[in-house]
Amino acid sequence: MAIQKEKNKLIQKQERAASLNYGNRPGWKSKEASQKWIFILMATIPAFGGYLLFTLYPNLLSVYYALLDWDGIREPKFVGIQNFIVMFEDPFVWRALKNNVLYGVIVPPFVIVVSILLSYILVYKSYRMNAVYKVLFFFPNVLSVVAVALLWAFIYDGSFGILNAGLKLVGIDVGNYYWLGEKSTAMWAIIPPTVWWAVGFYFVIFMNAMVGIPKSLYEAAILEGASHRQRLVQITFPLLMPIIRVSAIFLMLSMFKGFENILILTNGGPSGSTNVIGLYMFNIAFGTGNHNYGYASAIGMFLFVILVLAKLLIDKLTAGRDAEY
Amino acid sequence: MKEKKSIADWLWNLALLLWALTIIFPLAWIFYESLKTNQEFFQDVWKLPGQLIWQNYSDAWNEYRIGQAMLNTVYYVGVSLIIGTFLTAINAYVLTRMQFKGRSVMWGLIMLSLFLPGINALVPQYVLMRDLGLTNSLTGLIILDSFSESAFYLMMLGGFMQSLPKELEESASIDGASIFQTFFRIILPLSTAGIVTVAIFKFLNLYNNFLGPFIYLSDPDKYTVGVAMYQANQIMHYKSDWVTLFAGLMITMVPLIVMYMVFQNRVREGATLGAIKG
Repeated sequence: MAIQKEKNKLIQKQERAASLNYGNRPGWKSKEASQKWIFILMATIPAFGGYLLFTLYPNLLSVYYALLDWDGIREPKFVGIQNFIVMFEDPFVWRALKNNVLYGVIVPPFVIVVSILLSYILVYKSYRMNAVYKVLFFFPNVLSVVAVALLWAFIYDGSFGILNAGLKLVGIDVGNYYWLGEKSTAMWAIIPPTVWWAVGFYFVIFMNAMVGIPKSLYEAAILEGASHRQRLVQITFPLLMPIIRVSAIFLMLSMFKGFENILILTNGGPSGSTNVIGLYMFNIAFGTGNHNYGYASAIGMFLFVILVLAKLLIDKLTAGRDAEY
Repeated sequence: MKEKKSIADWLWNLALLLWALTIIFPLAWIFYESLKTNQEFFQDVWKLPGQLIWQNYSDAWNEYRIGQAMLNTVYYVGVSLIIGTFLTAINAYVLTRMQFKGRSVMWGLIMLSLFLPGINALVPQYVLMRDLGLTNSLTGLIILDSFSESAFYLMMLGGFMQSLPKELEESASIDGASIFQTFFRIILPLSTAGIVTVAIFKFLNLYNNFLGPFIYLSDPDKYTVGVAMYQANQIMHYKSDWVTLFAGLMITMVPLIVMYMVFQNRVREGATLGAIKG
């Protein structure tokens, strides 16, 4: 930042000096300067104005909303920290948060292990179909959340889903078991679609990271007779560690932030067993029941604090830590 | 590097194949089910269709109103894409290649957005849009989604523009070109590659945007494809018209499949670019 500022000063100085040289041409400089400002204003006012109005202003406002008792229609009533007191005693908040933690702990390892395995094979083995696989594996990540959720809803369906039909083929008949409709399995059934979707993205990340590891390291290992497993565990893993760490944290954060897939698959049901905090907030604000904008904002603020603290922690943990070869 | 085929190779090929099947199989299944009649589907979910019922697609298009939703999506995505990409391009230029008072403050405020999870702003944003009379309107959604600064796209395109030689502006200025001419005639054409990448990502994000349209559009005539498919699936629980829903899902995936096939290298490269920069 400081360097940038110095640079700017220098450039301004140069510009001033340059403008002095043109001083013998009256009006030339002022016309260009005003043109420059018209251009800058024209470029930035719509975008930056929209950003201030639709992004920064609502973020500021959310602090105030969290202190209101308001259903969005009647006159808002200022209640101070009442919403937060209610929130900390609300068992639904804690249950939702528990689900977030569960997803945040279970999903990242699966995504990372599968992604690393797939990318290792694709980078270090030259099979005929590799090029096709590379294109194919990323594809789920291009699909919309609605498409992914519906696709898996069809897989899980009790009467006509391919999961039950497939199980029947291999001799396990579960009847018309609704995976997303039973409390005991709905929670777990959310995980495969999430992993499936995320692997598409992370295997590309790991693949690019692996391509960046110098070949000479492996060549030395091969000369010493190291097997693929040894190479994976002793060379690839340690060198990928910084990226693995960042990916794990990002995945964890997205498990706290995201709720659209759950909204579409189960809407938190059955009886709240798949509810997460974002979805709980969303339904309080926009769901079919009574709306409570104040309380929803308070939960939003709570989530905001969790996410920002986590982000600050990550930046601190990952700053200046790159793989060294 | 030539290694002889072993059991490990066989296992690894199997792993790749299995993962590929988790992607291809559900899609292929949905596709061939979408060509059956409901009776055929209820009888046996494995059997291939006896006769190909393309009628399902026109049913989905008309009865499930995918056609209307597609038109709405084209309007919403098309206009937001044009305005949004243009604004990103011109802002990336102003913020990375021009010097002016307040630039660093502006850049700092934009970078702040990387820290904002956004979820806490959903309610105030909705109230604001309601007060401005922009709810239940595709145009309102366009305004919300295109008049904004995106730190990620600005960094991406800004980085690209910074790699262009500084002499471009100088020589243009000496030749008497105004700043407008310099931007539109020189910088914009030279940045085409970067702008296309930004546009592809904007397209994917807009087309796949579910939460925004879901919150802001209440009139079924205005649904985008994502919301229309969500509602169709809700209705399906009572109607049991599976094959039409499958056909509808296939239709909504076509633009994504085409987009991905054409631009798959750029999409995958761009995705990781964003990840590295955070």
